[in-house]
Amino acid sequence: MTEANANSCAHCGLPVTGNPVFGGDGGGSGGEEHGDETSPSPVFCCVGCRAVYHTLQEAGLDDFYSLRQSWQSAQPRPVDTEVLDPDDVGIFDSSGFLGEHADVQSDGTMRAVLYLEGVHCAGCVWLVERMPRLLDGVVDARLELARGRMTVCWDPDVIELSEVARWLGQFGFEAHPLRTDNMGRRSRDAQSMLIRVGICWAVAANVMLMTIALYAGLDPIADGGLYTAVLWATFGLSAVSLVAGGEVFFRRALASFKSGRPSMDVPVSVGILVGWGHSGWATITGSGEVWFDSIVILIAALLTARYLQIRGNGLAADAADRLVALLPRMARRVVGFETAEQRVETVAAHTVEVGDRLHVLAGDVVPADGRVISGRTDISRAVLTGESLPESIDCGDYVEAGTTNLASPIVVEVEATGDETRVGRLMEWLEDRNIHRAPIVQRADRLSVVFITVVLVASVLTAVAWSFIDPTRVVANVVALLVIACPCALGMATPLALTVGVGQAARRGIHIKNDEVIEALDGVTDLVFDKTGTLTQGSCAVVDTVGDLEAIYRVRELEKRSNHPFAEAVVRWIDETVDPARGASDIDRVEDVEEIPGAGIRGIVDGRSVAVGRLSWFEGLPKPIDEWARLHAERGLTPVGVSIDGRVRAALAIGDRLRPEAFSILETLRKQGIRLHLLSGDHRRVVAATGRQLVIPDERVVGDATPEDKLAYIESLRERNAGAVVAMVGDGVNDAPALQAAHVGIAVHGGTEASLVAADIFIVADGVRPIAELLDGAKRTMAVVHRNLAGSGIYNFAGISLAALGFITPLLAAILMPISSLAVVASSLLQNSFGADRASAEQDAFGQHAGAHQESAHNASFIEQRVS
Amino acid sequence: MTVLYLLVPLALFFAAAAVATFIWAVRSGQFDDLETPAVRVLFDDDE
Repeated sequence: MTEANANSCAHCGLPVTGNPVFGGDGGGSGGEEHGDETSPSPVFCCVGCRAVYHTLQEAGLDDFYSLRQSWQSAQPRPVDTEVLDPDDVGIFDSSGFLGEHADVQSDGTMRAVLYLEGVHCAGCVWLVERMPRLLDGVVDARLELARGRMTVCWDPDVIELSEVARWLGQFGFEAHPLRTDNMGRRSRDAQSMLIRVGICWAVAANVMLMTIALYAGLDPIADGGLYTAVLWATFGLSAVSLVAGGEVFFRRALASFKSGRPSMDVPVSVGILVGWGHSGWATITGSGEVWFDSIVILIAALLTARYLQIRGNGLAADAADRLVALLPRMARRVVGFETAEQRVETVAAHTVEVGDRLHVLAGDVVPADGRVISGRTDISRAVLTGESLPESIDCGDYVEAGTTNLASPIVVEVEATGDETRVGRLMEWLEDRNIHRAPIVQRADRLSVVFITVVLVASVLTAVAWSFIDPTRVVANVVALLVIACPCALGMATPLALTVGVGQAARRGIHIKNDEVIEALDGVTDLVFDKTGTLTQGSCAVVDTVGDLEAIYRVRELEKRSNHPFAEAVVRWIDETVDPARGASDIDRVEDVEEIPGAGIRGIVDGRSVAVGRLSWFEGLPKPIDEWARLHAERGLTPVGVSIDGRVRAALAIGDRLRPEAFSILETLRKQGIRLHLLSGDHRRVVAATGRQLVIPDERVVGDATPEDKLAYIESLRERNAGAVVAMVGDGVNDAPALQAAHVGIAVHGGTEASLVAADIFIVADGVRPIAELLDGAKRTMAVVHRNLAGSGIYNFAGISLAALGFITPLLAAILMPISSLAVVASSLLQNSFGADRASAEQDAFGQHAGAHQESAHNASFIEQRVS
Repeated sequence: MTVLYLLVPLALFFAAAAVATFIWAVRSGQFDDLETPAVRVLFDDDE
């Protein structure tokens, strides 16, 4: 324990709100009673944190708390309160799983790579890597911090993998199988590129050293033998560089030529081949200049830029894969439904077949499409439709894979699995990347076409001119021109600046899968928001209340019995409003609780009959509450009534609250001339109300939008205005087609697999602010790109002119080339596009206070408007 | 200066050995993760 902050949890560091849990042992674990009086008792935000804290103390692992400070000062994030289900880890022992994900080592141990959720600091690495000493049978455990990848080796005779998973689970690390080993493939790609980079720099350094002898005046006549030897040695070495490194450019140049859009690789390849061919010819014939040094440096420098680019993009793709690994993978199959020996077995989700009956508990995600054959409940279709309010489901209704069961257990008869489900079909459609993909015309590519033309025309003119002036210098001057024009700096200008920008963004939780979109973002004209999860907090909250507050406080214990998001919102609101001391001391006794799906919950609290539920469930509403409710329903909120002894005493309006910072950020975007749109699957009324609050014109607000509507909307935006660059922000499966159709698709925090696949960028940080940060950062990154392009352009222009006039000697070219490249490298690395200090300062300045006030002001004015 | 005929090939041989070592290091995954080793040095190995 290092932090002495009384208001933050001793384990996770999150602020303690509501009912703090105090030190001691509690939880029935008995044991030591140390330190309760002598040292200040640690405070925890929840029982879970206290359990972890004590587990660590008992295992003698309390170094954890001093170590975790050292890696980064990341703000703690609340972790899902999901408990590791013992059935869930059982899959790790199945032979099918082990066959697919584990391999047997030569010494008989097994090895598997798992993704560990919840790893974020040095303390985590330390804990996980200590496992071999604490857990018998585990031979080795290595954790990759940045990617959360754990490689574990264990002896199958001593321990099972599920035990390893359970052991990790008690510390809050949840192990997930990595579905496909894309990470491994990307690692290998990056590795092979790194090897090329290594070889090319080794060659470049040696060639440079030998060439110094030539520049220093090695006499071709007096030291003829040595001179020839140097030429041939550099000739041979540069050939290695050409094969190991140049080949990358040749292949890409050829591909870009075939596709009819010559890329930057074309001038690079031409420069390399012409320069090397000429130098080679000069070596063989023993006459003329050689430029092997320039060529090998060019290859090495460009290859380095490309390696950095691959690595940067790979990290973003890895992050996406990790999120995908978190999807549900287990299903509960009911065997012998409605017979005497009915039982439930846990199976892997992908083995479920049509006709199977699945038991779906409250809080679980439905694993396949099917019809409900038993039970009534409320489900959330937010992932599929974007509708944030729960829908009630009865026997015979259809539920889709990906929806969440909120209230009570149901049994579903499976009608479609895997790719046949609605989600599966959508995913399949998305994988076909060519459909509707908005083309991004790269300015750098257009520039390279101009550049190639200029260089070729200039070299032809030079050749023609010099053949009149001095035919013996034609070849030398043309080659000098081509070498000096070798777009070393120009070629690195764009990728290097973008890569550094992408890297900085990743540290801010903004993962850019494809750095080409940065350029598009810079010129964005239309920004389309999906309401849920981006602009709003994405969860239900109490927005307003009416009537007797004491009556509302009464229902806390009753509502705690329910899983329904509304109930959770009510409990949260009570905890925030009521003095915590009261809540802790006098807990109401609750009996006879009955939850009626689609209506509400009722029970006896302290001897009085209390009910909470939809207003339509109650009879004889008092007039003021009825009017109040109608007003709020119009705003898209759901009114919930509280009745005591059969009389409705109070009501709460529940809805998805707008994020407080949304107002100021949207205002800033509007000032930058970006047209804002609101496109949501939520109810028309809700969306319209949100649109009005955010001052988005009615014609750009669309509610009740299906995935097809969203796609059509984006496409019409693109068609209506040729110059429009459309960015779409969304999170649900229903947003995926639109994300893909937009020039830039941005998936936000909590997004689904489909949206991650479809999006170019995804943001793991919460809220709207990262989107503003992203747009800002993209602007600054592009400013660096332009700075680089301008600098290297001027260099090339001057170089070509001088070479055409015959002023450039090999020595001058050799000095100028690295200088221009270094300037570009420095300019790229020194950028601060997504600076941490920049963003956090702003955040503190207006985050909480200004935004919150603004929201209440908006709410108040809205109500006034409607009343008058 | 004839010693150069021996020294330069020797230097190239060493360079080749260094490159070979580098390739081995990359292939064995030592460059895949550049962050964890940095925090690993913080741990005490005593038991």
